[in-house]
Amino acid sequence: MFLNHFEYFAPKTSRETLELVSRLGNKAKILAGGTDLMVLMKAKAISPEYLIDINGVEEFKGIVCEEGKGAVIGANTKLAEIQFSEELKAKYPALAYAAGEVGSSQVRHMASLGGNTCNASPAADTPIPLVALGTKVVINSLSGERELLLEDFIQNVRKTNLAEGEMLTNFILPEPVPQSACRYTYMGRRDAMEIDIVNMAVNIELETDGETIKNVKLVMGSVYPRPLVSKEVPPLLIGQKLSEALIEKAAEAAQGEAKPIDDIRASAEYRREIVKVLARRLLKETYDAAKGV
Amino acid sequence: MADKDLKTKWNLTPGGWNLEGVPAYQDEKRFTQVGRSVPRVDGPVKVKGEAVYTGDMILPGMVYGKIKRSTYAHAIIKKIDYSKALELPGVLAVITGEEAPNKWGIVPQAANETVLAIGKVRFYGEGVAAVAAVDEETAEAALELIEVEYEPLPVLLDPFESMARAGEVLIHEDSPKNILHEGEQVYGDIDKAFAECEYVLEREFHTNYPQHGFLEPQTALASYDPQSGQMHLWASTQIPHYLHRQLSIVLEIPMNKIRVTLPAIGGGFGGKGEASIAEFVASLLSRKIGRPVSVTFERNEVFFTNKGRHPCHMKVKMGLDKEGYIKAIDFDNTLDKGAYSGWGMVVLFYTASMLHLPYEVPNVRFRGRSVYTNKPSTGAMRGLGGVQPRWALECIMDELAEVMGISPYELKMKNAIESSHTCINNMFVPHSEYKKCLETAVEKSGFLEKHGKLPFGKGIGIAGGYYISGTAYTLYQNYKPHTSVMIRVDTEAGVTLMCAAADIGQGCNTVMAQMVAEELGVHYEDVHVQSGDTEIGAFDLGSFASRLTYASGAAIKMACVEINQKIKETAAGMLGVRADQLVLKNREVYSMYETKKRIPWEKVVEAYTSINGSLVGLGNFSPPRRKGIDIVTGNRVQGANIGHSPTFGFSAQVHEVEVDVETGRIYVKKVTEAGDCGTPVNPMSVDGQVEGSIMFNLGACLYEDQKLDANGKHLNPNFHDYKTPTTMEMPEMDTNIVESYDHTAPFGVKETGEGAVQPTFPAITNAIYDAIGVRFYNLPITPEMVLKALKEKKAVEASSK
Repeated sequence: MFLNHFEYFAPKTSRETLELVSRLGNKAKILAGGTDLMVLMKAKAISPEYLIDINGVEEFKGIVCEEGKGAVIGANTKLAEIQFSEELKAKYPALAYAAGEVGSSQVRHMASLGGNTCNASPAADTPIPLVALGTKVVINSLSGERELLLEDFIQNVRKTNLAEGEMLTNFILPEPVPQSACRYTYMGRRDAMEIDIVNMAVNIELETDGETIKNVKLVMGSVYPRPLVSKEVPPLLIGQKLSEALIEKAAEAAQGEAKPIDDIRASAEYRREIVKVLARRLLKETYDAAKGV
Repeated sequence: MADKDLKTKWNLTPGGWNLEGVPAYQDEKRFTQVGRSVPRVDGPVKVKGEAVYTGDMILPGMVYGKIKRSTYAHAIIKKIDYSKALELPGVLAVITGEEAPNKWGIVPQAANETVLAIGKVRFYGEGVAAVAAVDEETAEAALELIEVEYEPLPVLLDPFESMARAGEVLIHEDSPKNILHEGEQVYGDIDKAFAECEYVLEREFHTNYPQHGFLEPQTALASYDPQSGQMHLWASTQIPHYLHRQLSIVLEIPMNKIRVTLPAIGGGFGGKGEASIAEFVASLLSRKIGRPVSVTFERNEVFFTNKGRHPCHMKVKMGLDKEGYIKAIDFDNTLDKGAYSGWGMVVLFYTASMLHLPYEVPNVRFRGRSVYTNKPSTGAMRGLGGVQPRWALECIMDELAEVMGISPYELKMKNAIESSHTCINNMFVPHSEYKKCLETAVEKSGFLEKHGKLPFGKGIGIAGGYYISGTAYTLYQNYKPHTSVMIRVDTEAGVTLMCAAADIGQGCNTVMAQMVAEELGVHYEDVHVQSGDTEIGAFDLGSFASRLTYASGAAIKMACVEINQKIKETAAGMLGVRADQLVLKNREVYSMYETKKRIPWEKVVEAYTSINGSLVGLGNFSPPRRKGIDIVTGNRVQGANIGHSPTFGFSAQVHEVEVDVETGRIYVKKVTEAGDCGTPVNPMSVDGQVEGSIMFNLGACLYEDQKLDANGKHLNPNFHDYKTPTTMEMPEMDTNIVESYDHTAPFGVKETGEGAVQPTFPAITNAIYDAIGVRFYNLPITPEMVLKALKEKKAVEASSK
């Protein structure tokens, strides 16, 4: 249960951090909350030679959420801050709710939003609503900055699009369009300290008639190596008014796309079953929310 | 009055009695200290984080021990090479099994475990070597350098496979059928009884493999002094005495050269009711290097060494006559023992004794076997031997009631025993308020109005249960008193109780202080408790079998007789009244007839001690010995001494559940419990025990199960994947203590720590049936099982249309 020996750096600015990231490359890991990193290191799953502790870098922290301008969330913003942010709760309730369902209260006060994404666990809570919301991530390195849709950033189990010398610094959330709503839900064996069997977010935008679906995005977690954006649900629902029959069809489509595995937490068969149930419930909930019901 | 406040606050008992001028002998139940909801004596330090647990202790020169564990569940050890480990700087010693070949086990007839494996490993994670090093990191690194060569053997994980393949693979050479023990108990004539029954039902039940989930892992700190040959062990154990005894056997040191001390303990629930390898390894390493050695298990080591609840495979047949009276039970039980015997045949025969209560059963046949498998050993876990058969019996009664077309409540009330009941196996129940428990739980929950009438997906279920309040026999052949206490009274320390009882978090130190205070006529705040030490305290068997309140209470009463007599004689002279007319209450000594004649208790102690020195009283307790016989024939029955107890506690529970029929999740929404714990010494503590009991088995019923892969390797040896319910899963609880007083018990007390776990499995299972019309015969009942069962039910209903 002991960590390997490593060299520890505590930069104070983003420039210092990027220099370290550039110089140390893959031999280094970034320490934000450490709630996943320390567990992996204790289990000897990884043994980095260097740790770059970014908790002293103010630029990586904080929430900027202005009316009409979406939101920008620093990679090292604690999940508890997101959970309790009044602005985020109002504008992005799905994200605030998902952040509040991660681990325990203690974990949420340590863990960062960036870490929850960069750990790239298929069962992670926050990437699912973030993807549904169309979030972009900002990736920095000494040679510059690039932006990428989050759904393209997480590539596989514990694998992201980060190149050597790069780090994730910010999340950019677009301003929700009028007549839209995004909701998140999950299923586990218990209601706290859970690793989700299935989780899901749905984002629905309505036409000006307030009933016809203009746009829909359904994202599933824990059923694929990375957040799975449904391809089949949008063509079924766009241009339609949601009905029980459509809900059923869409839920079945999502179920067909999910590729879950058997593990100690649940069987693949059960997970597929739950995808359908959650899709059914969440489509209805989100649609109602978009309608303002 | 010595204290002005006392007049208003303390002249009323918890029952509201005014004691002023009332002769004490008129009502023995008018307590002032017993029956008070008082905070735990150990509460403040625990809340402040100042309680010292074994793992918090650091002694000068202390080093750390770690254990190398097997990566095979069944294998011959060909070779252990630890030369490289010894060369690592900072490593002080390495030991292997050969250094301590004496077998240990809490039941000496069946002891078959060595500290570290010798020649062969029998479960994944069994210790094969241990290291002492200057720090934990070095010790852990040293473990990596120990090379063990194994020759794998077939792994037997299922008791039926284990028996079937015994001709080919033996787990223990001296157990030719891979069976630790098999036995049969027959009372009456069950074949004749079944033939006369109107209703007969036969079912199979299978329970799971849960573990206790105590927060503090097993931890031990041993300090051996080579000069005096004295070993001092601080340990997180429930059983300082049995540990003491086994240490003596393994270390070959006389008991009087070993001292076991318990610092604060972070829970046990039976899991620390056997000695732990941590304790032996710390002691052996300390003796080897002459420095204190600390060993603390990681959580996965707690799961590896385990001692959790026995999975039971039960075939149950129950018969009722036309009126619904139980006439016969035929019960066949196959227990999954895991690799080593531990509690041995004790658990096997507990499952037999549980058939005889809390209902009257005139004809009983038990057949059972405890079977070795290549799993971590099972052992004692809250409600030992009771939980599994109770689940089966209460579920089958629920079905029988349905067959009869009556309420399960009615069926239970009809058959429930009453006070002064002798079972067919000669178990004697001096006192029972079980019927009152059933009545209260049913009335307060509205069971009769709801049962069978709730909408699909919502359900309500009822079950009852009982447990022993201590055992009648020690685990090794001996008839000494099970508990001895010493009480010292003087002006320096006030009142001090010295005993070896183990407060593992259940609150016995508080309860004992209340009982001492009651008996001496002082307040519980006045009593110091020195417990959990085999040298300072007097003899005590330990914390198991829900024995402490009763046993300590009896010994305390006896110890106080002599002290009170001397206090009364002294006060008599001071007050000029007869000693036998004096009452000791509320820190005062006063005449029961002339209440103006009174003197502070402390003044009397001062007067006595200034002449005679400290006042000391000794007391002990031996339970009544009853033989396990067939009371009709008078014949002795093998294993039937097990299950006898001085008295028994009872509990009835009504659980209300909601089942999400789409996801299969089961939500226990409300629990109404009514318990007969005799006199509740500390009612607040009783509520805590009962709520804890319910959550404990709610977890094992719906969530908890240890899983192994085909090679016997643990898949979930952590709280990440071994899921216990959290506070989010805690239902609304309405726990009730029914009016009860057992006149044969000290202060009228009974157990409460294990009786209330008994009804939880069946009450939930029966409630699920009421909700969705599906009966489950396997645990834990998972959402996947619920969905599958609902699908099957739908298919059956569709095909029958």
